Amino acid sequence: MKRTSFWRYFIVTLLLIVCLFPFFWMLITSLKPEGEALLLSLPKKITFENYRKILFQYRFYRYFINSLIVALTSAILSTLLASLAAYAFAKKEFPFKNFLFWFFMSSMMVPGLLYVIPQFLIVYQFRWINRYEGMIVPHLANVFGMFLITQFLKDLPDSLLESARIDGASELKIFTKIVVPLALPIIATVFLLNFQFHWANFLWQLLIAQTESMYTVPVGLAMFKSAHEEAYALKMAASTVSLLPIMVLFFIAQRYFIEGITQGAVKE
Amino acid sequence: MGKSSFRNFLFVLPFTLIFFVFLLFPFFYALYLSFFKVTDLSNIFANLRFVGLRNYLYVLKDKEFLYSVWLSLKYGLMLIPLNIFLSITLALLLKGDLKINRLYRTLFFMPFVLDAFVVGVVWTIMYAGRYGLLVNLLKPMLPASLYNTGFLGNPNTAMLAVVVAICLKNIGFGTVLYTAALNNISPDIEDAAKIDGASGLKKFFKITFPLVSHTTTFLVITGIIGAFSAFSEFFAMTGGGPIVYKWGVPLGATKVSGYYLYNHIANLRLGIASATSFLLLILTLAISIIYSRLVRE
Repeated sequence: MKRTSFWRYFIVTLLLIVCLFPFFWMLITSLKPEGEALLLSLPKKITFENYRKILFQYRFYRYFINSLIVALTSAILSTLLASLAAYAFAKKEFPFKNFLFWFFMSSMMVPGLLYVIPQFLIVYQFRWINRYEGMIVPHLANVFGMFLITQFLKDLPDSLLESARIDGASELKIFTKIVVPLALPIIATVFLLNFQFHWANFLWQLLIAQTESMYTVPVGLAMFKSAHEEAYALKMAASTVSLLPIMVLFFIAQRYFIEGITQGAVKE
Repeated sequence: MGKSSFRNFLFVLPFTLIFFVFLLFPFFYALYLSFFKVTDLSNIFANLRFVGLRNYLYVLKDKEFLYSVWLSLKYGLMLIPLNIFLSITLALLLKGDLKINRLYRTLFFMPFVLDAFVVGVVWTIMYAGRYGLLVNLLKPMLPASLYNTGFLGNPNTAMLAVVVAICLKNIGFGTVLYTAALNNISPDIEDAAKIDGASGLKKFFKITFPLVSHTTTFLVITGIIGAFSAFSEFFAMTGGGPIVYKWGVPLGATKVSGYYLYNHIANLRLGIASATSFLLLILTLAISIIYSRLVRE
């Protein structure tokens, strides 16, 4: 029994090392002087020069701020819209409710690339090219997040809402004082998933950001990559700047991430 | 009553508005555009010329399109089985609610939440030629040409290299799904199998695997959709290259259908791009439906 257990964890550990090694190597490479970047060795002397250069000389601090603005605003707004809609779908009645819900759900079958051209044209009509609005607004209707919150709210007992209503609380008050606090775990999950989605919404941001000052981190990385194909250490510093926030967020709130992402899959 | 149901609808209104303007309308406008040629980009809503099915015919006759569909198919046919095999293996090895197993599952899951484009960029230092990590580790076994170009610069290995990178990024997702599915199998069934003397591989193929088939179907269907819309990872790692000569024309060895579509979008061939996206949507749906029919039988 002990022997099989050893081999079991030996295989699993080996596979885990293969999975995570690229990120370890990214970190190591980013701490090396450019001349040593691709050598198969640990850095002789750790240097933060690449980060200084990538953040200030190549202005990734600016792209980081842009990414933060876009991802944070998008996450807040799309979570709010999803929660409001989910509350009505789970607990209220209105005409065409089921049809509308089914209609929203079916849109998840359509690959995102199909929307790109018309969305771009609409954003163009709104004069939102090269603006935060253009990056944020078209992706605020997150059907998957709305679905997750709806499923959660359906299990809330109606009696809670009824007693508040009898006490004379307004609908908006019931939503903010009762529904949101009770649904906080799933709302946090959807918020994190939205943040992650917009942090990585690379292709769309590439189309909308026309001037350098509007680049987000992945857009900046794409531009830097095509201009400096051989600058491996700098590329890895930029990649770390892009990946680290999501890695940290994941390890802080891993339960929310994993349950949120897989719950949808299990329930479909 | 009418008043209260209107008030109820107000909760759904903001979401619905965004959905109609930025998802529903774009869907139909893309369909509309696929029958037109845009003659003047300065006013895209006015200067359109109806061309009937010509955009569709252009795409269907384009060797580059046909090859890109084949490449997406190849990508899916390599990635999906590998992903399923590794995920279910890991789920079986890490079965049970031990703290250490949960830790492992979490660590495997981590790359799944990262940006595919940036992860692709990170993998380029693993796959690079001459000074790259893998070519140097494997140097004695590699032909000189592969050593020089690296795995992404060689038409025979580029696709496989992307498959491995993306598979390793995604296995945590499959593992967690299979773990949940395995936990749902009642212990009685496994005990019955043990009494019947079924063990090891036989038990797995006769009992365990059929009982988690929902998860497998889910991974296959999302895998097919993913393969036909994959773009960022190829953009980051190969740029659609390297060039190969097929059917008498130069084609990208990893220019999958998502990349083909992106090129039309980037070159502002809007009608043709829209026709391409609908052809890909039809293809994806058709393959998914055929697959689920086959599974049911």
